[in-house]
Amino acid sequence: MKSTLDRRTFIKLTASASGALVAGVCFQSCTTDKLPATVYGFSPLIKIDTDGWTTLIAKNPEIGQGIKTALPIILAEELGADWEKTKVVQGDYDEIYEEQWAGGSYAIILNWDLMRTAGAKVRQVLIEAAAKKMNHPANELSTRNSRVIHIKSGDSLPFEELITEASKIPLPETVEFKPIDSFEIVGKNIPQVDLDQDVRGTTKYSIDVKLPEMVYATVLKNPVFDGGVSSWDDSITRTVDGVLDIFELDNKAYGGRLIGPNSPNFVNGIAVIANSTWAAFKGAEKLNVVWDNAGSRMESTEGIFERFHSQLTSTSIERKDGNVVTAKRKAASIFEAVYELPFLAHLTMEPMNCTVDFRADLCEVWAPTQNPKALQEGLIKLFGLKPEQIKIHLPRIGGAFGRRYYVDYAMDAAVLSKKMGKPVKLTWTREEDIKHDWYRPASVHKMTASLNAAGMVTGWQHILANASRKTSLGREGNPAGTEIDSYEFPGGFVPNLQFEYGHVLSDVPLGQWRAVGHSATAFAVHSFLDELAILNNTDPIDYFLKFLGPARMVPVVDDYEFDLKRLITVIEKVRQISNWETRLHEGQGRGFAASKHSGSYIAEVVTVHMDKNDKVRILRVDAVVDCGIVINRSGAEAQVVGGILEGLCAALYGEITIADGATVQSNFHDYRWMQLDEVPDIHIEFVKNDLPPRGLGEPPLPPAAPALANAIFAATGQRIRKLPIIKQL
Amino acid sequence: MPSYTLTINNEKKVISANPDTPLLWVLRDILDLTGTKFSCGIGSCGACTVHYKGNPVRSCTLTVATALEGNITTIEGLSADGTQPIQQAWKDLDVSQCGYCQSGQIMAATALLSKNPKPTENDINTAMAGIICRCGTYTRIRKAIQLAASKSEE
Repeated sequence: MKSTLDRRTFIKLTASASGALVAGVCFQSCTTDKLPATVYGFSPLIKIDTDGWTTLIAKNPEIGQGIKTALPIILAEELGADWEKTKVVQGDYDEIYEEQWAGGSYAIILNWDLMRTAGAKVRQVLIEAAAKKMNHPANELSTRNSRVIHIKSGDSLPFEELITEASKIPLPETVEFKPIDSFEIVGKNIPQVDLDQDVRGTTKYSIDVKLPEMVYATVLKNPVFDGGVSSWDDSITRTVDGVLDIFELDNKAYGGRLIGPNSPNFVNGIAVIANSTWAAFKGAEKLNVVWDNAGSRMESTEGIFERFHSQLTSTSIERKDGNVVTAKRKAASIFEAVYELPFLAHLTMEPMNCTVDFRADLCEVWAPTQNPKALQEGLIKLFGLKPEQIKIHLPRIGGAFGRRYYVDYAMDAAVLSKKMGKPVKLTWTREEDIKHDWYRPASVHKMTASLNAAGMVTGWQHILANASRKTSLGREGNPAGTEIDSYEFPGGFVPNLQFEYGHVLSDVPLGQWRAVGHSATAFAVHSFLDELAILNNTDPIDYFLKFLGPARMVPVVDDYEFDLKRLITVIEKVRQISNWETRLHEGQGRGFAASKHSGSYIAEVVTVHMDKNDKVRILRVDAVVDCGIVINRSGAEAQVVGGILEGLCAALYGEITIADGATVQSNFHDYRWMQLDEVPDIHIEFVKNDLPPRGLGEPPLPPAAPALANAIFAATGQRIRKLPIIKQL
Repeated sequence: MPSYTLTINNEKKVISANPDTPLLWVLRDILDLTGTKFSCGIGSCGACTVHYKGNPVRSCTLTVATALEGNITTIEGLSADGTQPIQQAWKDLDVSQCGYCQSGQIMAATALLSKNPKPTENDINTAMAGIICRCGTYTRIRKAIQLAASKSEE
């Protein structure tokens, strides 16, 4: 994801540098007839009320990443609003908002300038209005605590007294941002805006929606990937008290499994409609279905991995610098290692669900989606609706981690509501949720290093073989993309370097998972670097710093650079706070890994203790993060802790296995997740600087698994080359 | 469909449901107390934790017919204004991320402190075992329980 991210940012910044300020595009259009001033005051995101309160629209889906708090913080900062007198309201899906999605750690990156511009332009209008009323020149006025103030005289006016005057003034063409060193809200510990309702149980998720006349539904899908329904007997189901109706869900009648080049439709199965969720669940359990699996490869984990291993010798070259063959010939020694990673599930705490009220004039949807635009496109494709016939609400979402990038479950609900002519709340059981996930792809990595007499790398070859998320279920795209991209680390750091990709086709549905491809490649790359350090009897941090070389800008690809000074800074700092140099007790060890992801630099040290039964206990994690400006200190820390714990937990336990063409695991009892008593002490530091804020949802995750495996090696001498760790000890 | 009288948040509620209906679905679908969450349906994640006769129970595995003898407390019944000490500590430490598991976490933590006002680390581990948070709010959960416990000593 690294380069795509930086490229997009680059494109946007270029556009703004060329005069057409990107952030202004949306908000200029909003001042025209597209959005009447009566709808939302001065800007579609900011409303100043006569009672002195400012309402801020949170436009992006809130999946637990804190964006519902973070984006309004930026608005309030530039506006000069009193945070204690702001209300935050979640916006529905609306194209006027732009970049209204959650994924790839993009939300802050793509909205930083948009939010600053919206806040600043409204501030500029308020100041202009105040200048007239206060008889002070506009350039001597500023805003603070929801007032326009004249510092020299001490005069001030509250925002609410400027509404009439300000509403006559158009939004300015040019924006004047506040100096970053004058920020008063950004960077503080701001509690999540919904915290009070969270602790009272009154936060509404889409699973909590209740509408008049609403009926309840669940689904029983063919567990074999992409299979169909041959026949079914619902006679017992129809005797279940509360069951109202039973339908086959056949995606062939709705455009097939793929409804766009990259958007999958619903999975085939049977739906049960009832007057309660429980009746629907019971009814589905009593169905007797003969599945049609004629088109299935009937795969197994063992078979899939055999094919991955064979594909290591039949690859496409994704990047070629210098000549790795010559480097091997000239090398003092050559070192090889193969790493394997499993399929992973998402297990969002809120299972897949969706409520749809499909009326003749309007299809109204309450969906836990990261990707409302894809949901809208799906409804257009399935039912021939026009965008104005679709209304998508974005309630709070009980976790996403990439699963909710896909909208298959929402298509289920829409089909059922249309059939019933009533609002339908669809709830998947946890079993359906795990068996019909979009898994993190499994992969095999063969790493080869050519080393000189000093033990340093002169040639680097990384061959990755797997089934790609890009081509899963016949989707279009370069199969190597997001598995091993040309900008993968250490591209740009080694003169002779080759990345290769071996493509395998599989029925397993594959998709985004926190940190995408980097969640796997970082394990192989940073475990391998640790092995090279050990091979050379060198401290792993010293070896890595020597491998990186002196602080400089490293061109990786085209417009994507690596600011090595920032990476070295976080590494040196984590060495210090983790007490890396001090001795540990027998059976304990420390491991290190550091990487750049989504524009953020992060270094982590994991400390473990191995007991006599080789049971691993993670004692402590230290992390130092440079993500540029921190928007909300409390939310940022939560993201780093969460990312680290997810990385550690997945490395220790995470594994989806496949047998007879279907997922073996079915619920939390056989897909283990970390519990409170396993959580280590976690120490986090942020580097303070004034650089533009970068992503934070994903970057903490990739270094966690290799740092843990490296720590286990330090403690025991056992090298972990295959995940999950629990199966190796 | 038989009729049952339940005591929920100290109020008598008469509802009609099949005897095997889990308390979770009575709370959510019939009584609109949606703060109690469905996640696994088999008692293995803790998101649906409520108090029954003062003890934390998984409401997805407790049928309505077996929950008639005592008071059932849900997250909505902890306090009128969100200031029960555990709720307050949760707010002081900004514990929630996606928020979905939080009512289960809070119900387990309040049950612990009601019986054991000064829990040790191990007591906390035992009481909170099996209540899963996918976002990883665990470090703040532990601190919030300790904070609430320390305030009750004052």
